[in-house]
Amino acid sequence: MPNTVTSMLPHRSTSWLSTSATKGRKWFQRSGISGQLLALIIVMGIFTIGTRGKYLSLVNLQVILSLAAIPAIIAIGLHQVVVLGAIDLSVEGVVAFCVVIVGFLAHNKFNANDVGLWIIPITAGVGGGAGVINGLLNTKLKIPSFISTLGMSWVLWGLAVFVSKGQTIPLLNNPLRAVVNGYVLGIPNLAIIAFLIFAIIQLVQDRTRFGRYLYAIGGDEVLSAQAGVKVHQTKIFVFGIAGVLYGLAALFLAVKLDSAQAITGNNLLFPAVTAVAVGGVALTGGIGGAKNAALGALIVTALNDGLILLDVNPYAQQAVNGAVLVVAVALTIDRKKLGFIK
Amino acid sequence: MKQRSRSRSPFPARHFPNLPGIAHQSFLMLAGILACVFVTYPAKSVAADASTTLAISIRTLSNPYQANYKVGAEAYGKSVGLPVDVLTTEANSEKGLTDIKSEVARRAGNVVFFIDPNQATDVVAIAKVLEQAKVYFVTWWNKPADVKVWDYPHWVAHVSFDGVAAGYYTANELFKTFKTPGQGKIIALQGLLANTPAQERFQGLQKALGENKGIQLVQWEAADWDRTKAYNDTKAMLVAHPDIDGVWCANDDMAMGAIQALNEAGLAKKVLVTGTDGIPEMFDAIKNGLAAATVMNDAKYQAGLGLAMALSAKQGKLDVAGQPQKYRQFEIPAVNVDRQNVEQVVHDYIDNTPQYDFSNFYARWSVAIP
Repeated sequence: MPNTVTSMLPHRSTSWLSTSATKGRKWFQRSGISGQLLALIIVMGIFTIGTRGKYLSLVNLQVILSLAAIPAIIAIGLHQVVVLGAIDLSVEGVVAFCVVIVGFLAHNKFNANDVGLWIIPITAGVGGGAGVINGLLNTKLKIPSFISTLGMSWVLWGLAVFVSKGQTIPLLNNPLRAVVNGYVLGIPNLAIIAFLIFAIIQLVQDRTRFGRYLYAIGGDEVLSAQAGVKVHQTKIFVFGIAGVLYGLAALFLAVKLDSAQAITGNNLLFPAVTAVAVGGVALTGGIGGAKNAALGALIVTALNDGLILLDVNPYAQQAVNGAVLVVAVALTIDRKKLGFIK
Repeated sequence: MKQRSRSRSPFPARHFPNLPGIAHQSFLMLAGILACVFVTYPAKSVAADASTTLAISIRTLSNPYQANYKVGAEAYGKSVGLPVDVLTTEANSEKGLTDIKSEVARRAGNVVFFIDPNQATDVVAIAKVLEQAKVYFVTWWNKPADVKVWDYPHWVAHVSFDGVAAGYYTANELFKTFKTPGQGKIIALQGLLANTPAQERFQGLQKALGENKGIQLVQWEAADWDRTKAYNDTKAMLVAHPDIDGVWCANDDMAMGAIQALNEAGLAKKVLVTGTDGIPEMFDAIKNGLAAATVMNDAKYQAGLGLAMALSAKQGKLDVAGQPQKYRQFEIPAVNVDRQNVEQVVHDYIDNTPQYDFSNFYARWSVAIP
């Protein structure tokens, strides 16, 4: 006698369910972010228990999202350079310089300039320009990115300090202020902007020739050059995009703090590198996408927020961050590429 | 040779046919370095100058407080008709020492120094170099407690602002703003934990808390003197403690970050903040009812006093060895700023550079540093 219960179930539907579940699991495994999602869930779980639920309150989730947005934008810019197998240490200098540009050109306390919304393309352009120079130094003058971008950072930092004379420039009635500090349906606008940037970059990586070139170069630069990949062009473009995103981050930071000063750029590089590494982008190149960078920024912010909410000793917080970075790199680095470890 | 001509160097060897490969590279490098040196070398230094140079070695020009050292030094230089050189360490102790050495060499020892060392331990190396060159100098802020100024004949004095007094004053001003004065909860933002001023100001806060048992410090974080980090930390702390009555900050930049976070939480003007340093935005915040108080470390006076003392020693007017120990290592009070006197302070010290009287170096002496 056939099992009536089973026979009564619509056959097609169970098959669809099971295949989609397998598909889902496979997607999850192949997505490259399974470990990171798990880490985020574990981090949030521990802090939720530790703070008796306060961690998962709407207010705190809003705080995490709004604080994660700017590091995420920077990390999304940085990670493509890392995927190439290079590194970009110019974050702090580019941000410092762009912030000072915002201070001078937006409506401010010290001069009569007011470019209004033009400030968006201007800062993006200045940042992008710095990025393109990074790319040119790296590809045309054959300077290792580690040195060229570090040099660029110091040059721009010096310029920023020189131009601003070390002063803080208070901004007045910035038209972007309402946008940067606002919410849509309880979600901070900055987080939405960061998400849109992530979505665009991710789409470009997945669906375009540029994306394939990116991973080809990251995998093996010599081989991809022989295969006809435009290595120099792609690299310069990647550094340029990174610069554009640092410029936008600088703009948001200045508007958020309602003031422009060169030192706004300080303390941005370490969180960005940590986010990129924690997100699962291998520092050896070729592995990881925008989703990893964005998720990495979210994990790092969620961690820092949790440490404060748990009132962990401030002396220990830095140590925790450093340890997380080392562990993340240990888990993601592609050792096949390294002949020996320096 | 064939291989070299295919080299991807931007400066191919064929442009310098008479130079062997390695030599032409080092030649280019040398030329580049020399070019950089000539471009950055100030023209005035080429002419030999008999007058003493006033040199200041400070951390950076990127921070308004440190930038005012330069303003004060230049104002003093103008008043005595002597040139001023500004050296910055950019938070690099090694660079600080090297720059001081080259400045001494450049001026052939005819120079006096005002130094704000990058960190306390740097002063020993600096003192040895300047002692050897017989150059008089005054240091500010950072010095290890076991290093004594009187062991070095050319080290005129070490001066500092009273950090404990600053933290204590701002804390008490903050407590006065509470709905029930003397009753409430506060959070605090510390500077870099390894810095002496950060520790001293925090001691001042602790002292004030000890005298006001009704006030509880519910949480503190180290925001490293940084506005963005202060903003982030305050946002997170406000989730844990939405019911605080005040935010004590170890400097003004962090106070500005805290104000932004309070503003977003709808607590601006209800919950006040305090800082230290006296940056222009903080004065505006006090005027607008967002902040309760700050302490202004008068950088212009600092630089002027330091240079005046060192110059006077060099000219033989100040008998360094004859001064009692209490005049070799001492603290002076900063300018207290609250809602009552903020307009006056801004007018006197910010909008104008006061005509300081440097005839008595110890006029503001408050306490000896043991």
